[in-house]
Amino acid sequence: MSILYDEAQEAIAKESRRVLDAQFDKDKLLGLLDGTGRFDEAFWKTAVEQGWTGLAVPEEYGGLGLGLLEMGLIAQSAGALCAGAPFLTGNYGVTQILASCTNGALKQAWLPRLASGDAIGVVAFEEAGAPLPSDPAVKYEGGRLSGKKAAVPGALKADFAIVWAMSGGKPVLVLAELNAAMSRAVDSFDNSRLYAEISFDGAEAAVLFEGEAARCGALDCLARMAVVAAHEQMGGAETALLLARDYALERKAFGQPIGAFQSIKHSIAELYGLVEVARANSIHAASLEGQGGFLAAACAARLSGCEAYDTAARDAVQIHGGIGVTWQLGLHLHMRRARSLSIELGNALFWEDLLVTELEAKAA
Amino acid sequence: MIELDEFRAKAGEWLHSVKAEFGPDARRGLSDEQDLALGRRYMAARYDAGLAGINMPVEFGGLGLSGLHKIVFDEQEMPMGFPSVYFGISLGMPIPIIMRYCEDKQWVRERVIAALRGEEIWCQLFSEPSAGSDLAGLRTKAEQDGNGWVVNGQKLWTSHAHHSDYGVIVARSDPSVPKHKGLTYFWIDMRAPGVTARPFELLDQSVVCNEVFFDDVKLTDGQRIGPVGGGFGVAMATLMIERYVASDPDGYGPSVSFFMDLAKDVMLNGKPAIEDGRIRSAIARNYAMRSGLDAIRSRAFLQMEAGLEPGPEGSLGKLVSFRSRQKLSELAMDIQGAAGLAYDSEATTTHDWAVSWLSAPTGRIAGGADEMLLNTIAERILGLPQDHRPDKGIPFNEIPV
Repeated sequence: MSILYDEAQEAIAKESRRVLDAQFDKDKLLGLLDGTGRFDEAFWKTAVEQGWTGLAVPEEYGGLGLGLLEMGLIAQSAGALCAGAPFLTGNYGVTQILASCTNGALKQAWLPRLASGDAIGVVAFEEAGAPLPSDPAVKYEGGRLSGKKAAVPGALKADFAIVWAMSGGKPVLVLAELNAAMSRAVDSFDNSRLYAEISFDGAEAAVLFEGEAARCGALDCLARMAVVAAHEQMGGAETALLLARDYALERKAFGQPIGAFQSIKHSIAELYGLVEVARANSIHAASLEGQGGFLAAACAARLSGCEAYDTAARDAVQIHGGIGVTWQLGLHLHMRRARSLSIELGNALFWEDLLVTELEAKAA
Repeated sequence: MIELDEFRAKAGEWLHSVKAEFGPDARRGLSDEQDLALGRRYMAARYDAGLAGINMPVEFGGLGLSGLHKIVFDEQEMPMGFPSVYFGISLGMPIPIIMRYCEDKQWVRERVIAALRGEEIWCQLFSEPSAGSDLAGLRTKAEQDGNGWVVNGQKLWTSHAHHSDYGVIVARSDPSVPKHKGLTYFWIDMRAPGVTARPFELLDQSVVCNEVFFDDVKLTDGQRIGPVGGGFGVAMATLMIERYVASDPDGYGPSVSFFMDLAKDVMLNGKPAIEDGRIRSAIARNYAMRSGLDAIRSRAFLQMEAGLEPGPEGSLGKLVSFRSRQKLSELAMDIQGAAGLAYDSEATTTHDWAVSWLSAPTGRIAGGADEMLLNTIAERILGLPQDHRPDKGIPFNEIPV
């Protein structure tokens, strides 16, 4: 069963979109592509002012204690405008892990700062293309981390990372504070995502979860982040769809709007199908937060989110023809963001396997 | 009004109680005629159980419940495999139209009850050899004759016409005006002199469709439904009538879990096929697509329950699910190797891949071809323009053929 948004949720959707629409500046976003180390600071300022940073932080730590449905709505608005800092999803992920751990001191140290937007945390799980490797090369021994994590989203500006590492033959989730010396910027096609390689090199870290609890916690965190990202992808895909639709109405060729040609209108109608399937899956997954069937629903949301945004960005450019491939039009902002969101949190191949494994377990 | 949950339980209990009598085991090996006879008995039993005409008005013999109650019943009935297919169109479109338009309420009530009990069947005579997607291009003529009408021409693709007692028909009453404006809608007695229904086989040898010929068939003006020249509007109303249709994310074919069972059994490169990445990808993609349709369906249900109009995304169901079914059926046949060549004409669409595959194209064409559905999404939902239509505004009899 899915859900209908309630009035408060509808208001979050409307208000977040209104605020972000008002500050949308395509030239600024284009400028951010040009080098590493800068991000959409206006967006983050707005996120802090609007209280979005505290949305999913438990109330006892200064947050609003809301859930995935509300986070998803913010992410959808951000995605629609190619806005968003990587911390939106990253902070949500680290908040989930911290909130469920038993280390009171760490909770007290970080959760209030995450809620107020004063601290930024990232999730560093992936190694060598595996979103959650069974035998990570990053090691945790004697309270210290060694090894590297490549291209961690948001890492260039992060205060701490929650790291998936190996400790004495068991996986662990540990929290390590970061400093500038540990992070090396990765020049990317989507630079405002602030990718950096983190070298731990003996950095101190504290254990949050060990063994099976670490694996379950990490997987749940990934799935939750994937649902946030799926909303962001769906928001972006819908914008790309609408841009293509508007252009097909306005652009004339052979004496008629190009949107009258079935090759164009059918391709736009197909995008509508992908966007609506992604929307339905995203809302459905968010509504199952903390319940049975959540992981399978998150996988489905992730897969349809990736497919919708990649396809909509690709086809919107194609439908625009020549103007679509210019720097200045900025449609490539969606192409880039669609790809970066599809790679962060693990590619579709990973989520396909995970989904089938989950369905097999359910059937058994 | 009975609560949905209570109704769901009541319907489920009754449906299960008659499973042995009307289910797939009872139907196996029956001829078409025997299966139809069983279907008529099923409909009568359903009527007697107080579960027929769920959202039809009480004054016409229905239960007067909501469209949601109907969906709740249909969703439980669908997987039972009962012989109700002969009555779907009859009760889905012609019967609601006569309830809405016909003046003689007593006559309508008799027809509705007879149709609900499976004693009478109605068909819908719309498509023609040269008018499928372009319905308004139809050529069957209705000419005024004294106080009545005379119909001549041919219909095609008419489901269950050979079993039908009545039909609703759209015909061209005035060829001198543009094509949408010259049509008139009637009900017709399928046993009347001059009506000939000839069933023919589809590619899976199922016999559902007919070509129907009309040779000087006489109608009274009382059989007219809607104004003269207003036939296209009534035809559109007929097609829009079923807001409350149960949809099936599996496209009325096998489920993804049925595919997974197969993929566990068959071997690929010395391992169960389900361990192969290509197979896993197909499972995951189809599951994601169908779970999206299922969530759309759930949300539409909640919207209707809340008294809201369900969103237009509901129109994606048929488009997406039949394509998914068609391709997954091909893959399922592939991974069985030589065993995938077998064909059991008695097997059901939901539990046999070859049967599902062979009838899948019909699903993608009947009731709105994929291409027309895409046009509708593009035009009605997204506001894109219609195609260039050279016949627009031109009197029908001046359109070049």
